[in-house]
Amino acid sequence: MNIKLNKKGADKIISVYWFAILILVAGGVFMMVSTFYNSPYDVRGLEAEILSDKVADCISNQGQLNFNLIEEDGKFSEAFKNNFLNNCKIILNENKPEYYFEVNFYGVDDTSNSVFDISYGNQNWKAGCSIQEDKEHEKLSKCLEKRFYAVGEDNVQYLIKVLSIVGKAEKNVR
Amino acid sequence: MVLFKNKKANILMENIIFIILNLFFLSILILFIFKQGSGAVMLEESYAKNIALLIDSSKPVMILKLNMEEARKLADKNEIDFKEIVKINGNVVSVKLSDKSGYSYDFFNNVDVSIYPDGNFQDNYIIKINSYK
Repeated sequence: MNIKLNKKGADKIISVYWFAILILVAGGVFMMVSTFYNSPYDVRGLEAEILSDKVADCISNQGQLNFNLIEEDGKFSEAFKNNFLNNCKIILNENKPEYYFEVNFYGVDDTSNSVFDISYGNQNWKAGCSIQEDKEHEKLSKCLEKRFYAVGEDNVQYLIKVLSIVGKAEKNVR
Repeated sequence: MVLFKNKKANILMENIIFIILNLFFLSILILFIFKQGSGAVMLEESYAKNIALLIDSSKPVMILKLNMEEARKLADKNEIDFKEIVKINGNVVSVKLSDKSGYSYDFFNNVDVSIYPDGNFQDNYIIKINSYK
């Protein structure tokens, strides 16, 4: 039996398949691009970094504790603590604070019990820090802890831990 | 009458149509990708967050220049005055590049800020940190 191959017909079938593949590829690209561009930019990590730097700059300058932070008798100033936001020029939205920061001062010989602490903002965000590494819980908040040493006026050395947290999940995560 | 079909011309025509359709398809795809990346909603969010972060990390009496060429092009297209696209109200930055959209983002640095288009470079905006509040 002599079978004649219809080359032109085969070409047409290939072109139909080709367009089916193109549509599939286009659908995939469309989905990926839409997902990418519809997700907001997550800048909370940067904000947490800037916030902790700002707090650290306010507490110490070139390794020396802010002289307003220590009173004449060598104790930490409660007045400075109570007016910390104003002293450090930080503004937190009082109705719905999306930020939280906490500063703990430790003596170099005992780094587990803080000798003084300052905290402001929405404390509820703190709960999310321990589980934020989990992809499922990244919506909760972005936490950042920084630590550094500073010397007080009486040459007492302190370890300072600054924990800064940024919520703002609605505007940074989908 | 006898018609002579030119087989070679036929194959060439089919291939040309095939290539044109492919190019058409690909160009729509590329256009879609570019349009998604330069939409008003995307740019508003990007500029608002950018400006808020710049303000957060600045100190008085800094003067920052931000190139907003893409925003200018889009604002011109949407007939929005370039002078009106960025506004700061309290500690909130708002960017508006079309009539239907707009995006706001807040900053925590308690500073007095002025923001206005650069007179010398039309695509730039100047962010001036005047003083602490």
